[in-house]
Amino acid sequence: MRDFIKVFLVIFTVFLFNAILSKISPSFILLFNLFSLVVIYFAIEKGEIFGSCLGALCGLLQDYFSFSFGVYGVASLAKTITGYLAGYIAKKIDVHPLLRSFVFILILVSVEFTLWTLLNSLIFTESVYTGRRLIIFQPLITAFLGSLLFFLLRKIKKE
Amino acid sequence: MPHFLRKRKSLTVLIALILFQFILISIQIPLGHEQNYFEKAVFSIFSPVQHGIISFFRSIGNLWKNYFNLRNVQSKNQKMKEKLFLLRQENALLRNALQRFKSEKEIQDNLLKMHENILAAQVIGLDASNYYKSVIINKGILDGLKKNMIVLDKNGNLVGRIIDPISLKESRVQLITDNESGIGVFSQKVRVGGVLVGDGQGQCLLKYVLGTTKDISEGEEVITSGFDRIYPPGIRVGKIISYERTDSLHLQIKVEPYFDFRYLDQVAVIMKDPKEFFEN
Repeated sequence: MRDFIKVFLVIFTVFLFNAILSKISPSFILLFNLFSLVVIYFAIEKGEIFGSCLGALCGLLQDYFSFSFGVYGVASLAKTITGYLAGYIAKKIDVHPLLRSFVFILILVSVEFTLWTLLNSLIFTESVYTGRRLIIFQPLITAFLGSLLFFLLRKIKKE
Repeated sequence: MPHFLRKRKSLTVLIALILFQFILISIQIPLGHEQNYFEKAVFSIFSPVQHGIISFFRSIGNLWKNYFNLRNVQSKNQKMKEKLFLLRQENALLRNALQRFKSEKEIQDNLLKMHENILAAQVIGLDASNYYKSVIINKGILDGLKKNMIVLDKNGNLVGRIIDPISLKESRVQLITDNESGIGVFSQKVRVGGVLVGDGQGQCLLKYVLGTTKDISEGEEVITSGFDRIYPPGIRVGKIISYERTDSLHLQIKVEPYFDFRYLDQVAVIMKDPKEFFEN
């Protein structure tokens, strides 16, 4: 039960943060994907089932921010697979060291981004809004932020 | 549960989730741009949360802003008086321009209809997929908003129209810069008619103007014609910034909208069903 409250609070904080960022400048939401970080973090901690379920939920929230032109399920599908992969891989290899964590998140967010772009091109005639190609940097910036955040969180937990 | 499924529980969950999402996507796609109940429900649940967050931060910001505003209220007042003067002049010019193609009574009626029914609204959210597509405002069904109502900026320039979904206290506004928007317009001087569509990048294109059209010039104002039966005639839209003659039948005309996206924090909704503008 405590875990669910924790997850709910984290998701709510990310939702709140995204809402504020979108008001300041929508480009910020294109630059990094906080929902992906939430999914990957909990997938590492709790396993692939939790990861995939959380991926589905966070994806729906991302769809709410209109990344998928108002069609619910597109980002959700990509995030479900990311959550599953994150949990599955984290069971097989240690992804905690900083550099490894960076590469791990970079690969996962890139996979998610590719999946999401593919689904978009399959479903919509309209091309994805790239915000003057800012979106291309999303996996890199998300991985950078994520690895630092995960590292800090682990340090705090240990102490 | 069969042994196979129990053994591969995680894979089963994954497949079930993927299937669920495929079904979710497929029930939305055939409807095109019509909103289904699922989308309406999600919009109704999350938009008040977003509204609350933005209102909270806005009120904190306003407290700070009000303090500074008090300090220079006199100079601001003077500036506003000057602005009001300019707006009155602009209004008079607009009336003159409209007189060229409409009878006086018709214009008066139209303008009166608009002024009596204006509702101020605040922009509380942007479209993250492309912020030139749509915005969310803090007025909804409870305030009397309906689909296709016209939205103007602070200076009376056209911003867009209300589209679905509309929740109790929030609604979505399709901007004229959206590439799926289409408005009947004509240029004020030469009176060249066409369809104005957004380019999705903050500007608009004036389409279907024949290449044989002469006297068209950069800087010429574009106003609504009313031929689309949604936007009433005479609303200022933007100005022509460039035009090009190509091998095709039509001119390529670029129009810069008058409304400034950076200052789109407050808008005015004309609380009149667009159909009423076209009655009689």
